[in-house]
Amino acid sequence: MKKFVKTAGGMLFACLMCGGISAKPKKTTLTMLISRDQPMSGIQAVCDSAEKSLGIKVEMEVTSSGTDLDNMVKTRLASGDVPDLIVYNTGSLLAPLDPQNNFINLSGESFSPRINKAFRDSASIDGQLYAIPFGLSQAGAVMYNKKVYKKYGLSVPKTWKQFIANCDVLRKNGVTAIIGTFKDSWTSQVLFLGDSYNVCKAAPDFPAQFEKGNMKYATTPAALRSWQKLADTTSYYNKDYLASTVSDGCDKLASGDGAHYIMLTDNVLPQIASLYPDKIDDIGVFAIPGDTAEDNGITVWMPSGIYGSKNSRHVEAIKKFLNYYMSDAGLDVYCSALDVISGPMPVNNYTPKGKRVAALADMEAYYNAGKVDAALEFKTAVKGANAMNICSECGSGQTTAEQAAKIYDEDCRKQAVQLGLKWK
Amino acid sequence: MRKTFGTVIFAAAVEGYLMKKNNIYSIWFAVPALSLFTIFFIVPMFISFFFSLTVWNLKSFTFCGLDNFKLFFTEHSMNLSVRNTLVYAFVTCSVKLILSFFIAILLSSSLKTKNILRAVVFFPTLVSTIAVGITFSALMHPTKGLFNVILQSLGMTPVDWLGNTKLALFSVAFTDIWKGVGIATVIFLSGIQSISRDYYEAAVIDGANYVQRICFITVPLSKPARNSIIILALIGGLKSFDLIWTMTGGGPGFATDVLASVIYKQYAAGFYGLSTAGNVIMFVFITAIVLPLQRYLIKKEEQ
Repeated sequence: MKKFVKTAGGMLFACLMCGGISAKPKKTTLTMLISRDQPMSGIQAVCDSAEKSLGIKVEMEVTSSGTDLDNMVKTRLASGDVPDLIVYNTGSLLAPLDPQNNFINLSGESFSPRINKAFRDSASIDGQLYAIPFGLSQAGAVMYNKKVYKKYGLSVPKTWKQFIANCDVLRKNGVTAIIGTFKDSWTSQVLFLGDSYNVCKAAPDFPAQFEKGNMKYATTPAALRSWQKLADTTSYYNKDYLASTVSDGCDKLASGDGAHYIMLTDNVLPQIASLYPDKIDDIGVFAIPGDTAEDNGITVWMPSGIYGSKNSRHVEAIKKFLNYYMSDAGLDVYCSALDVISGPMPVNNYTPKGKRVAALADMEAYYNAGKVDAALEFKTAVKGANAMNICSECGSGQTTAEQAAKIYDEDCRKQAVQLGLKWK
Repeated sequence: MRKTFGTVIFAAAVEGYLMKKNNIYSIWFAVPALSLFTIFFIVPMFISFFFSLTVWNLKSFTFCGLDNFKLFFTEHSMNLSVRNTLVYAFVTCSVKLILSFFIAILLSSSLKTKNILRAVVFFPTLVSTIAVGITFSALMHPTKGLFNVILQSLGMTPVDWLGNTKLALFSVAFTDIWKGVGIATVIFLSGIQSISRDYYEAAVIDGANYVQRICFITVPLSKPARNSIIILALIGGLKSFDLIWTMTGGGPGFATDVLASVIYKQYAAGFYGLSTAGNVIMFVFITAIVLPLQRYLIKKEEQ
């Protein structure tokens, strides 16, 4: 009993002390929900410097990714247990979060015009902006190991036919032609989604007509092509592709065990740069090839956004933090904390400072030639909720391209009904 | 599933009260428990019936009749998930039943190490399902996993435990059995040990051998224990989610999707009305299987 009184007294004293200390500089503490899949070094640096210069401390709650993250965010928004800041996708996943009622409208903030249009469109609902870009934009493309290419005398393919021919050569020589990481099942969709540039070139009105329910994947030849490409890849994957994760994929690409990895660049290049700094310049990028060599372009993804909770007690502090994040000083802190710069920042007239990777030049070549298009999920709110499962089913050869396209159309219809769109 | 079980108990309680004319205890004794049960089980159940008929975003809803149910039944992975749920439940239930019976017989014999063995058999039950799932998916990794390393060192071809669409569900079922056999064994053990020694002694005097003693004494007299295992394991299998989600996430593709994981994914996509409809379907589905089975087993027990 005596001991208990002593300990309790000690604890009380400690609490009083802590209270006394933290009360002095009047620090605000904000909470932030962030997926463990996001690159952490940049945001950590910004938070550290915000604590020093603004007196705003950000406590990060690092959580799961994919379906589990969607569930977590939606449940917490619905139950009112909302963190002050949320790092979450922009594009088609935004609308179901009911941003008008949950997030701070940022359209009037002074940084708003700085954000480039592609990002603004993907983080806006009814013309109102709800998020700032979390980091660098990226491409959904084929990353390849240049050393492997050199060893087998291959050249960068401009058409899908050439790409498959390259894969055949690699397979014959016992090299994994395409790295698959379907254990992280969302990665199976990157080929399908990254083919968007080619789809939209062949059928320019596809996004608009698709949203209206007039054009479907199964019945539009240009769109069906994406599924056929996915089905083509089945026989080229590494043996353990169904049990491999993104980290495994990065290892394989860096070591040259695998030649191609079709992925989002930001999930691969920074990881290789930090784990295998001597190998990062062996990695190049090319767009997912179309059917004609003349029009070869790349599909880009906007970064996740940082959203502020509308119902927070600290709305002013949130705005202050976001303003700082978007200032030149904040962006510089973010970029210089990154191991490498692997893509452009979606902010007008801002060039990221830091170490560039060789692959960035490959990507910039597409940007400079204007051969760039945003992924479909940033153009329409309709994206089938089961896209990743349907893709891994098709990619692993359980369904044909035609079946998968039909299943996906049906899945999209479900989403459209829930969004209140009138689909037949 | 607690719902079904709860409903059964609730119905039985009411029935019991109405049938007895001279009650020793006032019904008010039941009020605290019944009111909690009503608030947390009965009311939400009826609310969920209602919301399964709407398109619902948690704040507002529009009534849509039976569209959610129609949509759920046209769901691509639905047929597969119903089949998977049934296969999974019956495989895990029957294997657990048979295995645990033999383990229980072994452990109720006069082995010297039986206390240690009992602890060992029960141990997997104490580990968190998520931890078990992660561990086993590492063990079952096609190239780096321990299982395949052993197979290869014995000169056999490696097996793609979780990647092969035909095998994946059974690999998860195997893990479930590994984890769940302990609890079934404990139930069986208590059943077997409550059988009076007199029967065995009489049988020995009559000249019955070991196998005959098991077949004609142990098996019929441990019936109540067996019935509880069947019901518990079957319900556990039908609503199984956590192990499947950690090991395969319903994949590859939809190959190991069960009802619960389909519903979880609908919810994650923000289709609240639709996923509520899925829960109602699952509720009806499990009740339709378990209730008649329970009736049947109890009837047989009484005979």
